[in-house]
Amino acid sequence: MKQINKILLVDDDPDILEQTKVMLESRGYNVVTADSSDGAWKMFNQEKPDAVLLDLIMEEHDSGFVLSYKIKKDEYGKKIPVMVLTSATYVTGFKFDSSTTEEREWLKCDAVLNKPVNIDDLVKRLDSFLA
Amino acid sequence: MSYSGTNSKPKILIVDDEDALRFGVKKLLEIEGYEVSTAANGTEGIALGTNEDYDLAIIDLKMPDIDGITVLKSIREKQPNTVCFIATAYASYDSAVQATKIGSHGYIPKPFSAEELLHHLKLGLEKRYLILESQKLKSDRENRLLELSFERSRLNTIINSIDDGVLVVNRDEQVVYFNSAALKYLNLHEIFLGESIKDILPVKIREIIGVHFFQSENRSYSEEVELLPEKKLFVLATSTKIYQHDGTLAGVVLVLKNISEFKRVEFIKSQFVSMVAHELKAPLAATIGFINLMTQKDIQLSEEQKYDFLSRSNSRLASLLSMVNDLLDISRIEMQTVVRELKPIFLKEVIWDVLHLFDIEIKNKNIQLSFNEEEVNPIIKGDLNEITRLFTNIISNSIKYNKQSGKILISIVELQHFTIIRIEDTGIGMKSNEKEKLFQDFFRAKNEYTKNIHGTGLGLAIVKRIVDSYNGTIDVETEYGSGTKFIIKLPLMKSEELSVYKNESEIAFEKMIGPNK
Repeated sequence: MKQINKILLVDDDPDILEQTKVMLESRGYNVVTADSSDGAWKMFNQEKPDAVLLDLIMEEHDSGFVLSYKIKKDEYGKKIPVMVLTSATYVTGFKFDSSTTEEREWLKCDAVLNKPVNIDDLVKRLDSFLA
Repeated sequence: MSYSGTNSKPKILIVDDEDALRFGVKKLLEIEGYEVSTAANGTEGIALGTNEDYDLAIIDLKMPDIDGITVLKSIREKQPNTVCFIATAYASYDSAVQATKIGSHGYIPKPFSAEELLHHLKLGLEKRYLILESQKLKSDRENRLLELSFERSRLNTIINSIDDGVLVVNRDEQVVYFNSAALKYLNLHEIFLGESIKDILPVKIREIIGVHFFQSENRSYSEEVELLPEKKLFVLATSTKIYQHDGTLAGVVLVLKNISEFKRVEFIKSQFVSMVAHELKAPLAATIGFINLMTQKDIQLSEEQKYDFLSRSNSRLASLLSMVNDLLDISRIEMQTVVRELKPIFLKEVIWDVLHLFDIEIKNKNIQLSFNEEEVNPIIKGDLNEITRLFTNIISNSIKYNKQSGKILISIVELQHFTIIRIEDTGIGMKSNEKEKLFQDFFRAKNEYTKNIHGTGLGLAIVKRIVDSYNGTIDVETEYGSGTKFIIKLPLMKSEELSVYKNESEIAFEKMIGPNK
């Protein structure tokens, strides 16, 4: 897998979007953003990012999964890592993870990360996709 | 029935055509404590004997008009409990048999001595006493049975009318009693008495009954059971031991109480709590995120960025505060912790006051305001804070979601016992699916127009709660992209109630200015 440089970051909370963007930029990534599923899909096609970071709950409670499913079905999207960021574990009591192949198949994303995001963990995760 | 054996005199009828015998016997028996009636012929004898329930009757067999057998027959027909004797000088075996056949108790041959007569009559009285006693017992028993079956059917009716399901099983876990509610909750058409609960009851219910057969020292055991999926039917199943006189277990009575509505409310509450947590978390997470960024040494931020992050944190915390305030309002309305101060409220005044609150916002957005007051001055009975809150939330929305240089039209009318307030804006409107969810807690329309408009998602939820609590209604007409109209209907204060307040305020006014002026 090629070096990750450009990341598409999607979150409907403009503040969280900004914060994550600043953090990723401080680690040298080139960040493009979108604040809705539709905007993200447009940006994905336009920018062809090297990785996608998605918030789970946007317009609907599972917008992140729906979008990730869409990207993963895309010819280009198949090749890049897609990660879903969520704080849903605390709210719903359900734990999302994609540690098994089965779960990855169902969730159609490469990783599920809990919010708030720790930048070191996030970078480690991004690097792991290169190996 | 006169003869009780103790307190009243035994009554006897003597039917004989022989005057001397009649008088003689009458005199004798009266001395012996009888109450004596006499008849000089058969016709008279029938008349007396059928009319009254004598304890005893002595009937002469041979009389000139009607013979004794016919008299006996007539009396027996009408008064079967009168003990009758046939008396005759012409004793014959045949006539004795015939008399006994039709119900004569005895046969007294003439002439008879006083002792003979009294002896016969004494036996007759005993017989009469036995007849009456057995009859009393019989009717007592019948009454008792009637009472018992009435009691049973009444008890059945009562138990069947109970909305809780009742089902009784014996030690062998067979059903011995149930009511119709039990059938309904267990979704059964019929239960046969003696049927084993293993064949008919859901496992969970069987376990709740079974507790008493296998373990549990407790008299009673309760558990909530979901009998129909998707929260359609929840019951609280309580099983209680039934003991026999000797203290051993006779069986178990199961009571099923429908708690579906309770569980539904409970679910809504916990859903609400989880939604509240989520909504409170978002501004907190954003604020903490900014602070984190600013405290990380390896992230270089410009002064401009720092200021931007601080002011954004500030506005997130402000919105958090207003959300907490909204939540407190909701809990106040729902728990009714604060006693409402119900007073006459002049709606036009309230609406003008609210409009003045938003003077700056209205000016900034260059909104054209039109308040069509008409010739009415509706007064409702309410709590000023709540009513002000109601209009503040609606008018604030009609400014917030309006277009630059838009319009707000307000009209107020009276219609019978109600006042109708219409508040219309030329704002962004709503899609039909958004309109449906409008009054839900935390619902905010998410579309291209609303991106930069802040709100708690509780404003209209509060409005709805207030309107409901005043027995009013609120409707909304809207078109996506062109505007929204809220129509609020509230009951007017009754004029007789109002007059009380008028007097009070006049009195207060007089007190204020003093009695002399």
